Amino acid sequence: MKIKLPTGVPEATGEVADPGSPEPIEPVIPPPVAAEPAAGEPTPAVVGQVLPMYFVGDESHSMAGEPIAAVNQGLIDLRDEVAKHPLIGKKVRFGIITFAESAQTRLELSELSEDLVLPTLSPRGRGTSYASALEALRHTIPADVALLKGNGYQVHRPSVFFLSDGLPTEKADKWQARLAELKDPEFRERPNILAFGVGEADPEVIGRLASSPRYGFMMTSGASTAGAIAEFAASMLNSMVASAERLDRGDHTIEFEKPEGFVQLDAPLV
Amino acid sequence: MTAAGRAASVRRRVRLARGPVTIGEPAAVIEARLASGEPYRPDTVADGGEAFGLTVLAASVRGLSKRYTGGPRQDDICLRLHADSGTLVAAVADGVSGASRSDLGAALAVRYATAAVARQLDDRCASVDWGPVFEHAAWALVEEHRRASGDASAGVDEAGRSLATTLLVAAVRGSDVQVAAVGDSPAFVLAGKEYDSVVGSPPESADGLVGGGVESLPRFGGADAVQAARRQLDRGSVLLLCTDGLALPLAGGTGEVGLALARELARPPDVVDFARLLDFSRSTYDDDRSLIAVWGPGSS
Repeated sequence: MKIKLPTGVPEATGEVADPGSPEPIEPVIPPPVAAEPAAGEPTPAVVGQVLPMYFVGDESHSMAGEPIAAVNQGLIDLRDEVAKHPLIGKKVRFGIITFAESAQTRLELSELSEDLVLPTLSPRGRGTSYASALEALRHTIPADVALLKGNGYQVHRPSVFFLSDGLPTEKADKWQARLAELKDPEFRERPNILAFGVGEADPEVIGRLASSPRYGFMMTSGASTAGAIAEFAASMLNSMVASAERLDRGDHTIEFEKPEGFVQLDAPLV
Repeated sequence: MTAAGRAASVRRRVRLARGPVTIGEPAAVIEARLASGEPYRPDTVADGGEAFGLTVLAASVRGLSKRYTGGPRQDDICLRLHADSGTLVAAVADGVSGASRSDLGAALAVRYATAAVARQLDDRCASVDWGPVFEHAAWALVEEHRRASGDASAGVDEAGRSLATTLLVAAVRGSDVQVAAVGDSPAFVLAGKEYDSVVGSPPESADGLVGGGVESLPRFGGADAVQAARRQLDRGSVLLLCTDGLALPLAGGTGEVGLALARELARPPDVVDFARLLDFSRSTYDDDRSLIAVWGPGSS
């Protein structure tokens, strides 16, 4: 398919150079309606619509080797595929938060362009703090939404793709309290949370993280963790494309299909 | 014209040299894929003319996103004249993207709804009873689903999974406008640069985010779920019926899109220019768009 990206606002003058005719061509059809606002009119309040999406990934030591390499490759593929799509690149904003014993914002919410420099995830620290990751989201999302709205964007409900290969190493009530804050119906920017468990992750914990029972997924037992992560990344990309293609006022749901090698945890566990 | 002028005009070729209407930052230019499927769903439909002292223009254009993927236009429009009462009946519908045949759902809903209004007008009713109009359109969707699936017992939930659509209907007689909606397709009265919301909700929910769930046919809460209103269409003002593909970038009418539309619709353009205007290019807005504009008596 031919895709031509615009280099600027097209100007249709009604005059077209004709290599076979040396004479200037007069317009036969009137010039197009000028839809740009005239000088003196107020600055537009709304410039576009965006869908914020976050990848929240486990960077604990158990991810060392092929699993973390699969995450990094998946993120590169995601950036490249979204960047070359002519329509959705402008509609999606993507951020990366990782967690081990603490959470780190590794990529501020960004437009996925070809020249975007992605962080390289690598195992760090001791521990797997879900609470820190959930707390980071609770602080980051409202700030990001406010910034986007301040820049004139209509913002769709954010989505989070949460990937972990192990159990939280903190007390259950700690991370569950942070999770409750994130899912609180009074929290206006509460995100859709899709949770994915690989390796030693606990299906009950993964199911609890998801914002809907159908958004919880667990790697099939006996499968390769790195292979499952690659499938997860491909599904995250597909979800991003499908969701951004269908952006409308319709609902709060996100388009998503179960990745290969995962089972859907479709029973509410809370 | 002089002989030289005649000769020059003969040499000139008729040319189309118009780019897209752009409002703000343009969307990417893509090569549209023809939509395949049944029934035939043209990329763009446009209609318009005068009736009963009203001027009406109507268009439905496929969004860039579906042009890129080759999907069918899921919006539809319908105009119908009721001669005995001198009433223009107009409808727009926005097929729910998650429903597999919502393009057909939208097409059926606008046709059955306008027919249902016309039947009430046959009975010389002064006010449209909207509940039965929407129930009739919903029934048409269920019947179509039963026919296509072969499941004679299928209900609104099964039909909704394949044919769900919003629906907005108006009956205009002189300056008297009756309008009703199920779902988020809104109606406005445009006077100068002011957009007065008649039915429909603002683009953002109470959470300040876009979206928030939308009601649709065939499952809806009956007559109580129909948003209905009645207005006078003053001279110089325009009734606008649209789908959210336009309502979202319109954003209440206060920005660039609102100003552009207000300026270009101050007087009725021709049918093709109306469709081109609706098909404006604006970055990140690539959903189907439909618009029916009605100018009141004495406006043209």
